[in-house]
Amino acid sequence: MSQLQLCLVLSSFLFCIGLIGAMARSNTILVLLGVELMLNAANINFIAFWRYGPDHAAGTGILFVLFSIAIAASEAAVGLALVIAVYRHQKNIRLQEANRLKG
Amino acid sequence: MNTPYGELLVALRPELCLVVGALVALAVDLPKSSRSPTQRLQISSTIGAIAIIAALVCGLDAGLPGQLFSGVFNLDMLAQASRAGVLGLALLTLGITAGTSRLRHPAEFVAIILFATAGFTLMAVAQQLLLAFLALELASLSLYVLAGFDKTRPESAEAALKYFLFGGVSAAFMLFGFSLIYGITGSIELPEIAHRLAMTDTSPLLMVALVMVLVAFGFKAAAAPFHLWAPDVYEGAPAPASALIASASKLAGFTLFLRLLWPGLGAVSGNLTGTAGWLPVVALIAVASMLLSNLAALAQSNVRRLLAYSAIAHAGALLLGVIAAGTSGPSPVFYYAATYGLATVGAFGVIAVIERTGPCHSLSDLAGLRTRSPLLTGCLFVFILSLAGIPPLAGFVGKFVVFSAALKLGGLAGWMALLAIFLSAIALYYYLLILKQALVVPAAAPTSAPLRVPPVAAFALLITAGLIVLLGLWPSLLLGLF
Repeated sequence: MSQLQLCLVLSSFLFCIGLIGAMARSNTILVLLGVELMLNAANINFIAFWRYGPDHAAGTGILFVLFSIAIAASEAAVGLALVIAVYRHQKNIRLQEANRLKG
Repeated sequence: MNTPYGELLVALRPELCLVVGALVALAVDLPKSSRSPTQRLQISSTIGAIAIIAALVCGLDAGLPGQLFSGVFNLDMLAQASRAGVLGLALLTLGITAGTSRLRHPAEFVAIILFATAGFTLMAVAQQLLLAFLALELASLSLYVLAGFDKTRPESAEAALKYFLFGGVSAAFMLFGFSLIYGITGSIELPEIAHRLAMTDTSPLLMVALVMVLVAFGFKAAAAPFHLWAPDVYEGAPAPASALIASASKLAGFTLFLRLLWPGLGAVSGNLTGTAGWLPVVALIAVASMLLSNLAALAQSNVRRLLAYSAIAHAGALLLGVIAAGTSGPSPVFYYAATYGLATVGAFGVIAVIERTGPCHSLSDLAGLRTRSPLLTGCLFVFILSLAGIPPLAGFVGKFVVFSAALKLGGLAGWMALLAIFLSAIALYYYLLILKQALVVPAAAPTSAPLRVPPVAAFALLITAGLIVLLGLWPSLLLGLF
């Protein structure tokens, strides 16, 4: 197996772990962690494709990753702010109890 | 390398106006003062309106420069039209906010509306995966905050959290899909991607990438089976935030979607008779959205959730238009999305005005609206009938152009159009339920006092209703553009 393939296997594995975490966890912070893991899996893809790809000089993959790390950080900031907003009302951050809206 | 930054600055004046306007609105509100929240709201929404109008003027003034900044931006007719449409919808949302909002931090609300609008306009002009992703995230992150802005209501925080979690997962899907597309084609520029894809065969990896991107767009467009957040968010968020999520974000999203799918990934579209590609997946999502939402809406008694299910149904019809856009061009989808946006902004505006004095949750809260406020009833009448697709309103023409484009394709797309027409007849039932409450049922005793409509909100609602009638009578104003 080539190194690119190994990287892709690793990133797919991370993506799946993140997705399972985001789906199955009931603690909101852990769901956020899952989402971050999924984003980072995509970042590994970009780096791997850039490193082993033909167009080495352009640096597109690296640039994309820099921007997406910034996006992930701002997403975490907004997410944690919303977690606090929910905590103020229901005094915990369990997703099962965030069930006022339904129908 | 000589990069044309001057050209870029000229082309991106609308975004500059929006960001500067947002910062000015924040700065003016920053010093501690004795102004009441109402005055602060008036000041910041005036600044916001000036910024959006300046952006509109700059955008119309820029003409059609075409490809810019080595193909990162594409300012063609579709981009300019949908940029103007998004700005117009944001302006109407701002008018509704100015008339009805009771929020404690009005300047921040206006500023975030402007940031979201900057994201929408960038989505409309993006022709490169990185810019598309950044614009989409700018818009989404702003919308999450707007949805959770009403800190006094637990429903608002909950809606925002649900929206955020769904949106975050879909952003990760999109980024992963983009990374695979980058890996397969070695480029993130859409024309280059199209060029490389035309030369390569479809591979399983490419299919994974396509499915991931489509899943992400399904989330953003609130299409079934990824629609679960929509009813909760529309119900919990402040009414102006719901209006923005339902209107401008849809228009910008579908413009981006069109540009990504047809010019970018058109080579791997497959076809509806079984060749692998993205067309069968989009068709599946479209049919699922139309079926699920129209049936679920029949059982709804909450106005906002009803509008959410109607939004999902319209997303299905828009996806049908996306399928047909390969042969008929983008104008039917653009017309449909723009006029649908107008009608929802109006409907949420009416809800926002009613909520100033009392709740507007269940359908019975609308009872007696005819005697309480004839103006609101008249506007609501236009909006709801346009959503239902009754001639001569714009909603009818939108449905007509999209469905006829799909029928012209024939085959499975034609059958989908027939299904959509049949489901429109079902949808008429729940739209008329809303109108029955507003027009026929008398008001219950505690809520029968006349409603005072704030002048700004009344102005915005009348403009919206006027536009719907105008575009319905002269559809070529929009359809003739491209």
